[in-house]
This record gives sequence, C-alpha cells and structure tokens, in this order.
Amino acid sequence: MDIVYTYTKKRSSFGRQPLFCEQGPELCDSLAAAPPLQRDYVLRNPVHQPAQHAPRYSEHVVNTVRAEYTTTGANHAEGGWPKDVNVLDPEATQRYRRKVEKDDPYVHCVMSLSSRMEHYIMQNNAIDMYRAYYAEMCAAPPVERGACRTVNVYRDAAPRARAVRALSWQPDGGARFAVAYAAVDFHLAPRAPLNACVWDVERAAAPAATLLPPAPLLALQFNPRDGDVLAGGLASGQVGVWDWRRGGAPVVLCAPHVAHRGPVRSVLFVNSKSGREFFSGASDGVCKWWDMRDMGAPTDEMIMDVVESSSDAQSAARAHGVSVMEYEPTIPTRFMVGTEDGLVIGGNRKGKTPAEKLPLKLDAHLGPVWSLERNPGFLKNFLTVGDWTVRVFSEECRESAVLWSPPLRHRVTAAAWSPTRLSLLLALQDDGRLAAWDLLRRQHAPALAVRVCPEPLLRVQFHEGVLERESKRERILETRLREIRLRQKQAEEGSLAASASSVERTAGDRDLADAGAEYAALVKKELATM
Amino acid sequence: MAQEDDEEDLTFNVEEVQNIVRDNIEFCLGGNIYSHSRTPQWITVITEKTLSRLNKLNKPFKYIMRMTVTQKNGTGLHTAAAYFWDTATDGTCTVRWENKYMYCIVNIWALALQL
Repeated sequence: MDIVYTYTKKRSSFGRQPLFCEQGPELCDSLAAAPPLQRDYVLRNPVHQPAQHAPRYSEHVVNTVRAEYTTTGANHAEGGWPKDVNVLDPEATQRYRRKVEKDDPYVHCVMSLSSRMEHYIMQNNAIDMYRAYYAEMCAAPPVERGACRTVNVYRDAAPRARAVRALSWQPDGGARFAVAYAAVDFHLAPRAPLNACVWDVERAAAPAATLLPPAPLLALQFNPRDGDVLAGGLASGQVGVWDWRRGGAPVVLCAPHVAHRGPVRSVLFVNSKSGREFFSGASDGVCKWWDMRDMGAPTDEMIMDVVESSSDAQSAARAHGVSVMEYEPTIPTRFMVGTEDGLVIGGNRKGKTPAEKLPLKLDAHLGPVWSLERNPGFLKNFLTVGDWTVRVFSEECRESAVLWSPPLRHRVTAAAWSPTRLSLLLALQDDGRLAAWDLLRRQHAPALAVRVCPEPLLRVQFHEGVLERESKRERILETRLREIRLRQKQAEEGSLAASASSVERTAGDRDLADAGAEYAALVKKELATM
Repeated sequence: MAQEDDEEDLTFNVEEVQNIVRDNIEFCLGGNIYSHSRTPQWITVITEKTLSRLNKLNKPFKYIMRMTVTQKNGTGLHTAAAYFWDTATDGTCTVRWENKYMYCIVNIWALALQL
C-alpha cells in the first residue's frame, strides 16, 4: 500500500504551536445484545484452546524388503578363470591351462589330490545312483493280524455287582482262579457282601468256593508252592490266610494291632524255605513280611521312605503309600513297589542301612502305579502302568523309562507281560478296551485292540501253564485229525460210526474249549456300574 | 470564495467520507456470511481501498482507520473514544453497516497536518 500525499508548507509556518484540547469520550457505536439470536448459539464453557510452542516432529518407519536366502549346493564343474581370460574363447582357455600346468606347485597339488579323487570316482562308479533298484522283488509279506475273542464270562452274584480287586490263578497250571471283589467305595457301603470267590474255569455258572473275610478283600494270591492256600489283604489293613477247599472264614488272620494302618493293596508270596512266607504292602506306606505259622506279628517291616544318606531315619509320615508290589521268585531278596504317587521303589531285604534297603527310586507316572511286572524273559526290564501311559523301564537306566506308549485316550488300569511271547504285553484301559502291544512290531500303537465291555477293565492275569498248554494243543490237533479220519470212515460206513465220532467230537470239543479258555488267558470280568 | 474553498478544502467532510466507506464495505462484504477465516482478507481490502480514496481527496490530514467486524450472534458491543486534539481542524467519522449475519463498524479519524 503505497499512499503518498505531497504538500507544501511555508517556512514561516514551521514550528507553530499546536493548540490541543480535550474532546470527551464520545460513543462511537453501540450494538445491543439480541437474546433471540443468542438462543441459536451454544455456550461453550470451558473452551479448550491448546497452545504449544514447540518444534513439531513426525516419525515414519520404513523397512526394507526382506531378502530371501536359500542355501543350495553348486555344481562347480569348471571355474576360477581370471578376469582377463575370455571363457568362451577356446584358445585363450587353452593357453591359460597350459600356463597353469607348467607351474611348479601344480604337480604337487595334483599328486596330493589324486588318491582321494580316485577313491571317490571308484565309489561313484561302483553303483549307479540314479537307477531304481529292487523293482523286480515282490512286496513284503503282509503283517499278520491277531485276533482275540471272549471265551467265558464269570459274573459276580452279588445284587449290586462289585468291582474286581484282585485276581490270582492257581499255581502249576491249575484250572481255578480266585477273585476278590470290593466296590470302589467300600468304606461307604458297609452292608455290601464281603465274599470272595474261587472260580473253576470250566464252570461259569457258580463259583467253586466262597471265602468270607471279615472286611472287603482287596488283594489275593495263591501260594505258588501250595495250590490250596491263599493269602489275602483286607481293607481294614489285616492280612489273612485261607484254604479254598474249606472256604469260609480265614484259617488265620493277623491281629489288628500289628496290621497295616491303611487298606492292604497287594499281597505276594516270598521265596522261602517253608514256602509259607508272604509280604504285604498297604496305603500307609509300610511293607510287612509275615509267616503263616505265626501271624501274631510281622517278621519284618520296611517303611517305604526313600532316604538319601544313611544317617536319615525313615519316617512313616513321609512314606509313600503302596499301590502295587512285584516280586520275582528267582531274585529272592529284592522286590519292587509301585506307590500311590507314581514312584517305583526297588527294595532289597538284605540291605543294612535304610539307604541300602531301598536303593532304586524311579519317577514313573503322574498318578498311582497300577501295575508293575517284570518281563518273564528279561528280568531287568519291567513294565509299569499309571496315568495314561504304559512304560517299560530297565533297572540299569534310572533316568527314565526305556520305552513308553504315547498318552492314550483313556486311563490305563492294568497290564501284564505274556509268558510265551516275551515282547507282548496286554494293557487294559478305562473304556473297556483290551490292547495287546507287541513291542517288536509297533511301539506307538497296539498290535490289537479289542473292546471287551463298556465298563472299565481292572485286572489282568496270564495263566501260568505253558507246557500244559502246548501239550493240550497237541492233543487237540490229534483229536481233530482223528475226527477227520473218522468222518471219512463214517461217510463210508454209515450211522453207527457217526455216533462214535460224535462222542469223540464232544470230547475233542471240550479239550478245545479248555485250551481256548486257557490259551486266550484273557480274563474279562463284568464290573460294577459305579 | 477561494478562502471558503480553501476552508472547505481544509475541513473534514464527514458525509463524503461516510459515503466512501459505505461503498467500500458494501462492495466487499455485501451479502456474505460471517466467516472467521475470510475476515482478515476483507479487512485488508476495505482498509486499502478506503485509505487510497481518502488520500485521493487531497486533503492535508493524517488518517487513522479502525475497523471491527462482528458476527451477529446476540452479543452486544459498545465502543467509545476520547480525544485530545485540535477541535477546530480535526474530525472523526463512524460508519456502521450491517447485513443479516454481521456488523461492520468503521471509525475514521482525521488529524490535520499543521500548515
């Protein structure tokens, strides 16, 4: 805006005195407030007005494109040419080659490499790596599939069927087995029947004998030396001895003040001179050795408390409750105990200090160990069954199991090694499934799994009589053969021969049924619906 | 008569100035809605135009111009001024202009140059 005003002023009028006077404040303008207009506007109180006097920054992140790396091998056939040699020109390369060959170190290089190269070349020439071999061979023979079937079912006669707690076959291939029943909540059902039964394999209708303990029987075992005597452990902590031919009340029962303080979980006979000694383990964490002739007091006691050094004393308060025990007659002084908190403790009766008495301690499972059994062929290996897995341990390896099954869908309740096929073990599951695991064939899945019944399976026991079984099998084969021959003769001769052969056939059938029951040796019990 | 003319020339003619200012305001603001962002621009335009036209009158005055633009929202406004000057020669002029949305108040003070 450039506004210029020029004027002239006489010099005589310079410096004239200004004559100012006040002119009072006068209103320039006044605008009245208009309330109707005011109503259209919103009063903002308070009004936020930010003010910042600071440099303004901004941030922006940029990332470079990711470089992808791969690793590959390179086939380096020829290379390393210097820059001045034209690789495509054969003359130049020839010249360069000849120059290098004339170098001194060239000869030494070639000499040192030649022997190795020769070896590799001969190796490569030995077989053609790119050919398909074994195309003419036939496919591998298919894996044989096992099968198993239920032979017989023995039901508990009680009105509310109870769970099977213990199973024991008669020794030396006898045809009887003893079963102890107790409901799972035995302490809540005091009126439940307490009888345990001895069944005959061939007669599934009624038990051969009934034993009447004063409290529910939880553990039972036939004496391996004397097939008529049984030792049993009661829920009250007492142990007793029965004779199954007499049946009824125990022959002798230990006194309550020396008994265990918890229910007896396992009773096993010990290899002794008289053949009358056995030991028992209970939830109170103590193992007691008894002599049948004098049940007034146990002959020996051991608290299942593993101590590190010899100076610490074992205390019953820290003891681990016993859930299963294992004893191998060929190793007389040692035994193994599976505890309710998942440990496997190995014991040695001959130890002098507590540390020596329980030398082995393994962390096996997350819950109680339900089964513990040594492999009949390889005594150093034993299987344990606990939470949802089956594990095979070796005594030499104390860190962890040697083999274990993957966690199964249902809890595994019991397992047993097969006495004939040493790599076969049978595992029972909570959903009523019987799984046969063949460790030589497949370790991550059972070789055969059969759904036996809808209720959980609790106990399994193999029948001992191996030789008997084999001989029976021979007999069956013989009878079969005879049968076939007879039938042929019958076809020629007529009805007289037919009746004779039918008699033979029934005899053969019974043998077959016997053998079937024993060979299958898979005892299925109906269990209580809890 | 020349002296009268001279006198006329030397005094502040309020009406004439009012006309000038009113024309300028009308030209710039007429019919516009009040806009806070455009107001500085309007004010600049009006003052430049007005001052240049006042200057063209060729009168020996110093001019002071003050302009106020207020939105019509029901508020009240009150302005006043007091002077200490030569009451014979100096003069003042106030123009108030409004449309539907705003008021515009222009004050012009003319101070005589001592000749």
